[in-house]
Amino acid sequence: MSFTSWSYPLFLAAVVLLYWRLPLRGRMGLLLVASYGFYGVWDVRFLALLLTSTCIDYYCGRAIVGERAPARQVFTAASLPLVWLGGCAALTDKSGAVQAWILGAAAAFPLLFTALYELLWRKPEAAQRRAFLLLSILTNLVVLGFFKYFNFFAGSLLALAGQLGFAPGWTLPTIILPVAISFYTFQSIAYSVDIYRGKAQPARDLLTFAAYLSFFPQLVAGPIERPNDLLPQFTRAAEFAWEHIHRGLRLLLVGAFKKIFVADNCALLANHVFNGQAELNAPWALLGVVAFAFQIYGDFSGYTDLARGSARLLGIHLNPNFRFPYFARGPSDFWNRWHITLSAWFRDYVYIPFGGNRAGTARTLGNLWITMLLAGLWHGASWIFVLWGAFHAALLTLYRLVPPLQKLEQPADRHRVKDWLAVALMFAFTLVGWAIFRAPNLAVLGNWFAAFANGSPVAEDWLKPAFWLALHAVPLLLLQLATLRARDEVEFGHWPWAARGLVFLILFMGIASSAVSEQEFIYFQF
Amino acid sequence: MRTASKACLLFLALLAGAELIVRVFFARNMAGRFDYGYHPTAGFVEQADGVVRLERAGGRRFFPQQFTRERPADTFRVFVIGDSVARGKSVASSYAGQLAELLNARGVKAEAFNLSLPGFGARRKHLVLEQALRYQPSLVILHVNNSNEFEDEREWRRREEFRGWHPKNWLMKSLVIRRLYEMKTEKVYWEWLPASVRNQRAVSDADAEVQAALNVDTTREWDELVRRQTAAGVELARQRGAKLLLLTQARSEKDAAGKPRLGDHGLDAMASALRGEGVGVLSMKEVLGPLDWPPLFADSAHLRPDGHRLLAEALARELAAKGFVPAPK
Repeated sequence: MSFTSWSYPLFLAAVVLLYWRLPLRGRMGLLLVASYGFYGVWDVRFLALLLTSTCIDYYCGRAIVGERAPARQVFTAASLPLVWLGGCAALTDKSGAVQAWILGAAAAFPLLFTALYELLWRKPEAAQRRAFLLLSILTNLVVLGFFKYFNFFAGSLLALAGQLGFAPGWTLPTIILPVAISFYTFQSIAYSVDIYRGKAQPARDLLTFAAYLSFFPQLVAGPIERPNDLLPQFTRAAEFAWEHIHRGLRLLLVGAFKKIFVADNCALLANHVFNGQAELNAPWALLGVVAFAFQIYGDFSGYTDLARGSARLLGIHLNPNFRFPYFARGPSDFWNRWHITLSAWFRDYVYIPFGGNRAGTARTLGNLWITMLLAGLWHGASWIFVLWGAFHAALLTLYRLVPPLQKLEQPADRHRVKDWLAVALMFAFTLVGWAIFRAPNLAVLGNWFAAFANGSPVAEDWLKPAFWLALHAVPLLLLQLATLRARDEVEFGHWPWAARGLVFLILFMGIASSAVSEQEFIYFQF
Repeated sequence: MRTASKACLLFLALLAGAELIVRVFFARNMAGRFDYGYHPTAGFVEQADGVVRLERAGGRRFFPQQFTRERPADTFRVFVIGDSVARGKSVASSYAGQLAELLNARGVKAEAFNLSLPGFGARRKHLVLEQALRYQPSLVILHVNNSNEFEDEREWRRREEFRGWHPKNWLMKSLVIRRLYEMKTEKVYWEWLPASVRNQRAVSDADAEVQAALNVDTTREWDELVRRQTAAGVELARQRGAKLLLLTQARSEKDAAGKPRLGDHGLDAMASALRGEGVGVLSMKEVLGPLDWPPLFADSAHLRPDGHRLLAEALARELAAKGFVPAPK
């Protein structure tokens, strides 16, 4: 179910109304049912995958702190994916909806997992914790790797083999990428690692953990939450307060504005420029990439606001994912403002474990490159995303090695010109990065770069479309400037009430003037 | 913390106030929005000074034109009602505009208005005809085609859906929001974005249309619908005392040997059966057939301005021959 679909407000209202009337256990049950229903609208079959992750990480999490569950209980929980898939196969009228090999794998899973679980308990106590952590991390990565990257790597290998003169003629199977897999597997890994590091306590029961991992507002595209931030909110019942509702509705309003008014309208220009068929010159190329910059920001930060607003209506705080990213003074600053929870995840679970910046410049840069290449690949199984990651790694390297750039990234007291110069330069770099990210292939990217050498007019005038872009991007910038001091993009709390009322009206009218089509969120594909 | 903050109350009050004002004072201007071309008066705006303005509204995208509600006594008024073929690229380059030019050059004081709308089939053209007949036309040219019935059906379904209970339409039930949406669409979206950008958002159900067009039973139903609706139009024009000329569409096709040919898809025979007192028929196939016609077509159905010119000339001849136009002064 998409946040901007007609059914979501009704769904959310029903969940909120019920939620505040239930005791804690009832709330967890409701959240679990609602979240599985929310996810199942896309494809019910993939709930089996979510159930599998839930089962593995719940029992591994408890095992890491030395709590052993009876084998029968583990086996029963591990059988849930099979039961679910069996139900899907029986109830879906589409023939072959659940392939036989998947049913076979689901049938083998309870036996294998229970056996492995019991086996690991026989290890020496010191090795047990590490073994259960590895089991959790590896199973998550294997699932993610198979569904997201198998075709990519296998296809790349086959292409390479073909170029070297070997043509095995194999046909790769079609593997559907389950929605949200990149997000919930990362959240699962964070859960196990944080328990291992002693930073978090495991969930006290399977129901709470299942509700935590599948929490519908942030299931599909984050924010990727840490167990210490989110899990405690699932273990104690929040008290109802109107502040939750006010703040939640405000987040929903701003989020819908960013998505429907800003992103979906800017998408028209970005899609035109990057569809590979448009005749481009320099103004059009610039227009397209600026439009995409606002599209992706409006889309993803709008999604985050909608997620945070939905959660807040239930009295649950989710972390912000964006903090005025286009006001960044350099690449490090940018990654502290853009997709903050993912950046922090890569920092804490990849960059720092590899050594971070503690072992000299060369090692630090190597760690940066590994982290950014993986971050690029996380966004999609395609070489173009790897290139995007490499571009940002190169930027980070450049800003570390070139002293004037390094200085530029540092905040300057009373040097507003320098500040704005730094912001403008980083925005220009960000735009190049977005062109790489948006281009469907290298040919389109090449055409986009080449267009900057073409100053002559093309068939389509660019001036009026530029007004279109300004109409949809400037209100967002104004909103950002107005809330910059509060350091929170939805914080109008200090404004006079009349001004707030007018802003609400303007945002609502902006949404209503554009609410014609349901366009998916960009980050759903990751 | 109160249940509703002052800001929230102000927001709701402003919204409710605006809705009230629009419902009381501007409800008439909203007519036809979201009727997908099925509203009888949408796009026709009668002004207090006696002028009727044609504009883009909801499912109607008339070329902007205007005429007096009462036809001046010495003026020969022509309305051309059709689809995208009759519409052309502009009023001046379409056969409607060129016909007025030809008649005026021959000393007939004539005004011709292009009431053609892209994708309009027999049912929606009939609604435009009903409206046009209210403004004393000297002649109505009805461009008869049978390739738009799929779109007529689809737009009818959308209209019905919008009128239904479905929550996805709740927001647009508000007249303020509807007006705002319309304003943005008409004044900004259509004006500022080039067609190549807009087309990305166009609903593409070409596959469904092709599938329907390949079904013999469906096309037979469509043909019968066009025949029935055109006959109803002829009858209505007769009742209102207006002269009517049926201009039948021809399409550029290829025969089994791959040679180009003009196809009328049974329209000529259907229209001929409706010929009678005050009702003339002109076949595009007969007009263009003897000429080197392939260069006149922009695609299989739409004509280039030269093609429109030839049709306008043929129309002027036909009208003179039928005695439909008054003698030059």
